[in-house]
Amino acid sequence: MDIADLLTPDGVIASLRAPGKKQVLQELARRAASLAGLHERRVFEVLLERERLGSTGIGMGVAIPHGRVAELTRLYGVFARLERPIDFAAIDDRPVDLVFLLLAPESAGADHLKALARVSRLFRNAAICEKLRGTDNKDALYALLTDGSASAAA
Amino acid sequence: MDFAHRWLLAAALLIIASILAGKLSSRVGAPLLLVFLGLGMVAGEEGLGGIGFGESATGGIAIRDVHTAYLIGSAALTLILLDGGIRTRRASFRLALWPSLALATFGVVITAAITGLVAAPVLGMSWLGGFLVGAILASTDAAAVFLLLHQRGGRTSERLDATLEVESGINDPVAVFLTASLVGLIATGASPSGIEIAGDLAREMGLGLVIGAGGGVLLLRLVNRLDLAAGLYPILVLAGALAIFAGTQLAEGSGYLAVYLTGIILGNARLRAARLIGRFIDGMAWLAQIVLFLMLGLFVSPSSLLSEAGPALVVALALMLVARPVAVWLCLTPFRFTLPERAFIAWVGLRGAVPIFLAMFPLLAGLPGSASFFNVAFIAVLASLALQGWTVAPALRWLGLELPAVGDESERLDFDLPAGHGREVAVYRVAAGAPALAHDFATLPLPPRSRVIAVLREGVVQHRESLERLLPRDLVFAIVPPESFERLDRLFATGRRGTAAPRDPLGDLPLDAAAKVGEIADLYGLPAAVEDRDKPLAGFMRRRLHRSPSVGDRIHFGGVDLVVRAVAGDRITEVGLDLEPRALPFERLRLRTALRRPLLSLRRLLRRRAH
Repeated sequence: MDIADLLTPDGVIASLRAPGKKQVLQELARRAASLAGLHERRVFEVLLERERLGSTGIGMGVAIPHGRVAELTRLYGVFARLERPIDFAAIDDRPVDLVFLLLAPESAGADHLKALARVSRLFRNAAICEKLRGTDNKDALYALLTDGSASAAA
Repeated sequence: MDFAHRWLLAAALLIIASILAGKLSSRVGAPLLLVFLGLGMVAGEEGLGGIGFGESATGGIAIRDVHTAYLIGSAALTLILLDGGIRTRRASFRLALWPSLALATFGVVITAAITGLVAAPVLGMSWLGGFLVGAILASTDAAAVFLLLHQRGGRTSERLDATLEVESGINDPVAVFLTASLVGLIATGASPSGIEIAGDLAREMGLGLVIGAGGGVLLLRLVNRLDLAAGLYPILVLAGALAIFAGTQLAEGSGYLAVYLTGIILGNARLRAARLIGRFIDGMAWLAQIVLFLMLGLFVSPSSLLSEAGPALVVALALMLVARPVAVWLCLTPFRFTLPERAFIAWVGLRGAVPIFLAMFPLLAGLPGSASFFNVAFIAVLASLALQGWTVAPALRWLGLELPAVGDESERLDFDLPAGHGREVAVYRVAAGAPALAHDFATLPLPPRSRVIAVLREGVVQHRESLERLLPRDLVFAIVPPESFERLDRLFATGRRGTAAPRDPLGDLPLDAAAKVGEIADLYGLPAAVEDRDKPLAGFMRRRLHRSPSVGDRIHFGGVDLVVRAVAGDRITEVGLDLEPRALPFERLRLRTALRRPLLSLRRLLRRRAH
């Protein structure tokens, strides 16, 4: 599975300014809702529900909020680069500034896990994270996110 | 008079050299004890120093006989065991008492027997002589293992730590008993019945337990009741432990067991000046290790060693590759250790100071050919330290048992609060790249019941109200309940290491241990049995593990693994979700699963025949 299968250039927010975790999730939910044609509120609640089971902050400044939405037909991703790191109650207590939202349809099954694994593998590449932090150009960000997937899959 | 001064100077210089060499060796990652051993050899009879043991000493300085060596050895071993006991937490017994007990009793006997079967023909000894070699080599040294692991910043699961630690504490008395009995058998030529031996064993261990426990409690009371100059408390403990050891030995009990037990009692009770005592005994145990290995290095003469090196190496390899693995396999089978865990325990049964000490027993009894016991012990310990010692950390990684290092404890200083209701004061020097640096001071994610009471920057106390953020090298004073030390270590003392973010072996995503199995199963499309759906993850994992949980334990769940991230006593408090569990070595070696399919088809075939 490639990042390009989940993420379109429209799903990239190059520089998000938000004071806290809740607002970041709200912004991401808004973008995902408009891409997938859902209610913003619906997506936000799914994300909150997931955070209740444990923070999706996976460490080293990265979070992968995610959840399942029955109405979807395919996987949707939204990436945001935060202007200022925020507290996400992450696994290593470090504040988060790279966020990748992943929504999966009810029927996704193993694909949901595969996509999550793919995304978490992408962000374990410290070089890519550094580059993502270093630019606020939307196209450059999209290229970094999807290029990595091509080379890592090969 | 000059004799005494020369002796003191030589001993002191050797110890200083050992400490300096040890510091150097940790840079290159060489097994520390090997360095002491080498230094002893260099200083020894045939080396540069010309210091000798025994009558054949050619140099000006000599320790006259093996009795002196035995005296030094007993005192050193007492200190090592006392320190081991003090460090052993009660929680270790919860996880590892029974497996360790099995390893320390049956394991020692099995190891000694198999090693003996190889040693007798290879070394040209009688069977009894062979078993004596086995008994001498049978006990392990956890201090050596942890020293090596921590030198490389590796960390194992608490269960492995505890098993190795407790095993090495209680297998010493058993190995001592076995060695002493065999030496007695060979020396007197008597053939006592099994009942007599069992009786002796029961008496030794029974007396060891009783005197150790009684003496330990007495010593504890004494320390807590008496008002002394602070510096005298560790000395009191030291003398008390030596008295307990020697007294038990004189009463024909196992002083080794007694002193280990005393250590456990002191280490787990509320003890006055606990840190002072702990540090002192820790230092003394270091000294004991140094002295024991130096002594062995001095004792051995490389020329006689060379002639026996070949056969001795065969024995050492048989011990490492056959005897120990078989013993571990058999002893741990009832305790649900996974294959990689068993392989690790088998591989890191490092031989340390005890075999060296035990090799003196035949010398003391004046057994014929007793020099070869010493040489074999020397080669086996050397081979074990070099081969196993150097590969402990890679083995841990290869077997997938390595856990993430917690914050650097060495950046922390802590003090008991006399009336702190179980809380302590900890002082941290904030590491560069520590997570705390990225938070505002006012919103530091501190665990419950802990507080920062002061911040010192370049020696100046900062106003907490006006402090925005911490800086690297700031000194942070915090009040902490002991259970939160690890979290604070992580917050203040872990720097950003390297450039690659390593994979967290405790899973990619954290999950609330109280979350219901059904919720997780639905979220990720995982299969869950109806009766499990309402169970919290913690209870579900606990049941599936069939054993006391320990950080790093994992269960397969659909295509993912659930990993224990944190425990409080017997309860799982944090769970990790590993999205892409790695295939571990030996995973395919699961005999039961591998055999299941052919067995099933065989059964089907038979059933069809029957119809």
